[in-house]
Amino acid sequence: MSAISSTAKRKRAWLPWAIGLGLVGLIVWRMFYLYSINPAFNGAFFAGAFVRSFQLGSLYALIALGYTMVYGIIRLINFAHGEVFMVGAFAAYFLFTLTPLALPVAIIVALIVTYGFMQILNFWRGSMTDPLVLAGGALAFITVTIALASTTLGWLAAMVASMFVTGVLGVTIDRVAYRPLRGAPRNSMLITAIAVSFFLQNFGILAFSNRQTPFRPPSFWTGPLQFEVLGETLFTSWMVVLVPMVTAVLVVALTLFVTRTRLGKAMRATAQDAETARMMGVNVDRVIATTFLLGSMLAAAAAVMWGMTFGSINQPAIFGILPGIKAFAAAVIGGIGSLPGAVVGGVLLGFLENFLTALFPRTQSFAGITEYKDTFAFVAMILILLVRPSGIIGEDLSEKV
Amino acid sequence: MSASKGPAPQGAPAKAATLSPAEAGYKPHYLLNRSRNTLLTLAGLALVAVILFFVDSSGGTKMQQVFALFAIWGIATVSLNLVNGVTGILSLGHHGFMLIGGYVTGLLILPQAARDNLSASARSSLSDFAIGLSVENWMRALGLDFLATPETLWARFLIAVFIGGLMAALFGIVVGFPSLRLRGDYLAIVTFAFGEAIRLLASTPMMASFTNGALGFAGVPSEFGKSVWWTFGLLSIAVFVMARLKYSSYGRALQGIREDEIAAEAMGVHTAYHKVLAFAISAFFAGVAGGLWVSWVGTARLDLFLFFLTFYFLVAISVGGTGSITGALIGTALVVWVRQYGDPLEQSYPLSTWVLALGCVLLAVALIAFLVRRHKRLKPVTGPVVLGPLVLGVLAVGFGLFGTEMTALQQSWQGFGMRAITLAILLIAIMILRPAGVMGRKEFSWAMLFRERLDEPTDEERRQDAWLSNAALAASLAGDDEEEDADENGGAV
Repeated sequence: MSAISSTAKRKRAWLPWAIGLGLVGLIVWRMFYLYSINPAFNGAFFAGAFVRSFQLGSLYALIALGYTMVYGIIRLINFAHGEVFMVGAFAAYFLFTLTPLALPVAIIVALIVTYGFMQILNFWRGSMTDPLVLAGGALAFITVTIALASTTLGWLAAMVASMFVTGVLGVTIDRVAYRPLRGAPRNSMLITAIAVSFFLQNFGILAFSNRQTPFRPPSFWTGPLQFEVLGETLFTSWMVVLVPMVTAVLVVALTLFVTRTRLGKAMRATAQDAETARMMGVNVDRVIATTFLLGSMLAAAAAVMWGMTFGSINQPAIFGILPGIKAFAAAVIGGIGSLPGAVVGGVLLGFLENFLTALFPRTQSFAGITEYKDTFAFVAMILILLVRPSGIIGEDLSEKV
Repeated sequence: MSASKGPAPQGAPAKAATLSPAEAGYKPHYLLNRSRNTLLTLAGLALVAVILFFVDSSGGTKMQQVFALFAIWGIATVSLNLVNGVTGILSLGHHGFMLIGGYVTGLLILPQAARDNLSASARSSLSDFAIGLSVENWMRALGLDFLATPETLWARFLIAVFIGGLMAALFGIVVGFPSLRLRGDYLAIVTFAFGEAIRLLASTPMMASFTNGALGFAGVPSEFGKSVWWTFGLLSIAVFVMARLKYSSYGRALQGIREDEIAAEAMGVHTAYHKVLAFAISAFFAGVAGGLWVSWVGTARLDLFLFFLTFYFLVAISVGGTGSITGALIGTALVVWVRQYGDPLEQSYPLSTWVLALGCVLLAVALIAFLVRRHKRLKPVTGPVVLGPLVLGVLAVGFGLFGTEMTALQQSWQGFGMRAITLAILLIAIMILRPAGVMGRKEFSWAMLFRERLDEPTDEERRQDAWLSNAALAASLAGDDEEEDADENGGAV
């Protein structure tokens, strides 16, 4: 029996490679065909689409990591994650436009940032009242207060501070809305998540403004970048380099955290079996809070990158919805609950949205598919769920009786 | 406000093991006080009619619009309740079904003048074919000229709403198919994706020749959506169908799927058929509600069909009680009330007032958390969940009361979005504190109103229970229970 299945496995090992190579072949053929009918679709056109796809895919991957981590641990689709992303963008925006802040405001913001920072120190020391954590918190509080009250923050400082702010927001959401519902029916938790998302959307309207906001921190990276591709010049911005770089750094840091630290090990144990992990002495509530903290921090990083990429952020009521739901689709495509799956799914979705539209551009005889690209994520997700619910690289999540 | 329903048969007759129910003097509760209940139902319906008459004769006031909106959203809520509450599938794509019903209805009854405007407009992307789509034209083509006159607009509206509902039901079947393979939150997210995809597709060039893109079309006759008679008439049809369905064999199959899908399948329920059926019926009424909603507003626009609609219906169901039609209507009344009379929440107040209000909310949260923790005997009773809101709340109240001199707190701030925030907080609180909602799964009945205990066992049943649960008693009574039964029987009859 086992021999049969193993030979079957060995027989089909070439199948993914064949599909991948076939797809690449088709894409290359399509590119040459397009070039042959219109020289505007040259190497630079496709290289531009490629780098933009990778950039957008990295953003989706960052957001998708938050969804996939939370789903892996407590089996909850955290609808509010897209709104956490929105809050991250607005926090960063206010941090780099309104600084230097008045002292009382600076103290309040610094308190929030410090709390997030102490949570991070907590990963290492394991207790919020540990002397080192308290000392680090005090130091951070003084530094952040002085920094906020005296200088204008650059994009990196604003991003880091906004990551801490949203991290605290994520932990608060978990504590206030989700923790009282542990063990409740999953539909109740999902409805609560929708309510939190709706709350944050309208809180955004109330507290921020309900209009598009320009998002242009002074930075070298938003400047133009041009290089030669096959004799044609490609005009783009340095963001196509920065976004994948930031994503790579954060993903590597997250992977190191999950694989190399005690809390990361506890996280993996909780994802496998929360009950048993609790019996083995894992503080499951702390693990869940950590998950929300990390996921929300990644969302804020993605939000700042998003704003810098597109130069503006949308109205708070709708800014988080589409990126959020698309990133969730990316997590499902990659295989929900798996970290590499979220990254693969995100990048794949980026290519689906940008490169596929470049492969079917507007020509004289064809209207193009750019208008439909917002629906690709949904279609891909529904197809993946119907064909292979565990995703591309996912554990089998089929429900047992 | 809800259209009162007659007492519906619910629950099986009590178990009478040895005697038939009639012999034991037992009457099922729906036979108790039957004439009184019928009279009360008629009186209730008459009362509703009188209220509607007064609302209608007040003529174009806000009250009329609120009543009509309640009925329209009530149809949608009751239909969402069929999928979410009765079948137990969390469906989040209801705004998509309403969009289909709304656009189809709007396009089919659009008056000729509005069509001429649209075809003359340079910005319109409606195709000539779409502009020609009208029930009026069809009636002329069929030779039914008396149905194409302005006096018989109501008949055309009915036809258009029916076709809109059917189109929505078609999409409901399409959305229902993933439910055969997916469960739980995966299915919820797929229905959500469908709902959003319908809206996104409606603005693409493919569908813009029918939907006019993001502009939509104005000039839909609003005399139906704003009339309480039309809306409440359709609402009563929807409630009647849903109530009959709930207690039919189909409804019981759907409730079986909610409780345990595998067990239901093992008992012979064709789960695939029933789930798709639930989606189709629910989508049909959502389409009808969408048609009325477009008529209520007077235009068909894409921003009428955002996710907030489904969210409001979800709030209504959750507050009222998931699975209860009465509860869905109570919840709708609350949601419509907050939405239509919540303007004071969204006005401009000085910041100190807002801070004071925030402080009061935080103090309330602290109090509730304290009570809950004490009730659950959690230790320490004053955990961070109590102390955090308490400290922040006291600070906020202090600033609100005594900080009125601070210039920073004297600026005024407009509370955009406060109504939605209120509803969201309400939903979170309901989910945490009382997940079953106000009504639970119960329905309104007169017996419930008069606090008649329908499940109170008769003396005979009490005796049998004691007999069954007490082995010693069972042994001692084993010989003489026949004559005791006879005595009891004689006494009861």
